[in-house]
Amino acid sequence: MKPLTSLMHAVWIAENDLRQSFKSVRHVVWSLLFPIFMMFTFSFRYGVTEPDVRFITFLIPGIVAMTAMFGSINETMSIVWDKTLGVFDRILAAPVSSTSIIVGKTMSGAVMGVISALVLLIIGSMIFGVSFVNISFVLLIILLASFSFTGIGTIISGLASEPREAMMLSNLLRFPMMFLGGVFFPVEAMPMPLPYVARALPLTYATEALRAIEIGNISIVFVDSMVLLFYTIGTILLGSEILMRIMTR
Amino acid sequence: MVKGEKPLENAVEVKELTKFYGSLLAVDHVSFEVKDKEIFGLLGPNGAGKTTTIRMICGMLRPTKGTAVVAGFDVSQKPQEVKRRIGLVPDISNLFGELSARVNLEFMGKLYGLDKKTRRERIDQVLELFHLKERQNDPVKYYSKGMHRRLTIAAALIHQPEILVMDEPTSGLDAQAARLVREITIDLNKEGRAILLTTHQIDEADKLAQRVGIIDHGHLIVLNTPEQIKNSTEGMHALEIKILNEVDQQRWIPIISGTECVDDVFLVEGKIRILSKDLSQIIPAVVNLVDKHGGKIENISVAQPTLEDAYINLTGKSVREEPMSKEEYLQRRLARSGLR
Repeated sequence: MKPLTSLMHAVWIAENDLRQSFKSVRHVVWSLLFPIFMMFTFSFRYGVTEPDVRFITFLIPGIVAMTAMFGSINETMSIVWDKTLGVFDRILAAPVSSTSIIVGKTMSGAVMGVISALVLLIIGSMIFGVSFVNISFVLLIILLASFSFTGIGTIISGLASEPREAMMLSNLLRFPMMFLGGVFFPVEAMPMPLPYVARALPLTYATEALRAIEIGNISIVFVDSMVLLFYTIGTILLGSEILMRIMTR
Repeated sequence: MVKGEKPLENAVEVKELTKFYGSLLAVDHVSFEVKDKEIFGLLGPNGAGKTTTIRMICGMLRPTKGTAVVAGFDVSQKPQEVKRRIGLVPDISNLFGELSARVNLEFMGKLYGLDKKTRRERIDQVLELFHLKERQNDPVKYYSKGMHRRLTIAAALIHQPEILVMDEPTSGLDAQAARLVREITIDLNKEGRAILLTTHQIDEADKLAQRVGIIDHGHLIVLNTPEQIKNSTEGMHALEIKILNEVDQQRWIPIISGTECVDDVFLVEGKIRILSKDLSQIIPAVVNLVDKHGGKIENISVAQPTLEDAYINLTGKSVREEPMSKEEYLQRRLARSGLR
């Protein structure tokens, strides 16, 4: 199959997935309400009636990274629904290469992660006045983070045999990652050995990088980007391997 | 046959097709062919290996052994060529529920490489043909089961395939919707399309298929025209009785089955159907037996052996019975989920 045709197949699969997700208004609203709720709840920390400005600048980058994680993984979970509802078979029966299917699914996951994160970024900036020094770096980090979370979502979707199992597996990863990824508490303040655990999670690097961009500390962003890139390649390769096994068995 | 050339006689050729799911043998050296412009029915109970067989033919599952050649292309070597020539109607209506019929068809058209103009023409054509035009912009999740099924068939026809593969096409439909789907199937065949369909309903195979392959436990037991299969019951008679005021007609089956000259006995639509080679002996024997056990016969009639009778005669069991064992179900579920 010609590379351009394969790429177009991937784009159409991604477009179709996103169209499905955005058609379900409730789906979009619910998935965004959770990070918005977390952002407002934690902004009024420790009973302070007015939002703590210093804490807000700490919190918003973490919430944005966390939203990318929820958006990407949620979107990739559609693979499990597709398998259960037989929709995956519809694509498998068509003259489409396995690579196109994987690329398409990865694209839709990453796009959803980026869109969700941007919505939270806009809300955070508008309400709490948080601003970032370099928006192109912000976009790069959100994109890399979304791809790495999509890879994790693909692995879960490949391993889970049904949606309930996928939800459990994803919560098993997402919630510890949310609390250990430096979103609400600084990694440095965590008791041993939790900082080591935090350093194994992609969310930690995404959060750290976004915070560094916020305060203009660009040097650390490069290292974090490299780690996220490494995560992206690793998780997507592993996820693809698992999905490929299902598709070509 | 030269690869890629349209076959002169056979649309599908399956040779020694075998599939293992782990240690479970799902399809066991199955061989058959679907002739050009023919409706071929693969008949068997649930879990017999029908879906696995067609998934291998459609290039969605790799055979453990054997070959499937579709329109001259070996599915193991040229799966994409095979997929282009097949329209698959799966056993469940697997459409994108949030999207409209038009968007669903549009997506399928794109995947099959149709240009924008052809897509629009074909979509209008199939929406008209399947009476879906009025609701074309509604999300598919609001459609009735019959509409879902029609749209699933429409989606399989968008690329005008040479061969249509239908997995349990009328499963779960009410009588009216099922009849409509059967009429559509016959019309599509009359247009010159070869159709491979699977069914667990004997009367469906009898009504639709020009040739039938009976499959059970992954094994092809018989392959012939419905008439020829029915002829295999030559010399056999079917006797139908109904016991008066009996709620549980089933309880008479073990009683009657012990009678001499009864070849088989089973329940069909609330009546006890008895197969026997000796009509003169079986009638008085059954009448006496029922009387002896305190029952009264409400109705008795002699019928022509059907395809179901032939099936039972050949396999020794009814198509309607035979649920999958728990172990078999779990193995299949694991295999489908890709965990093994």
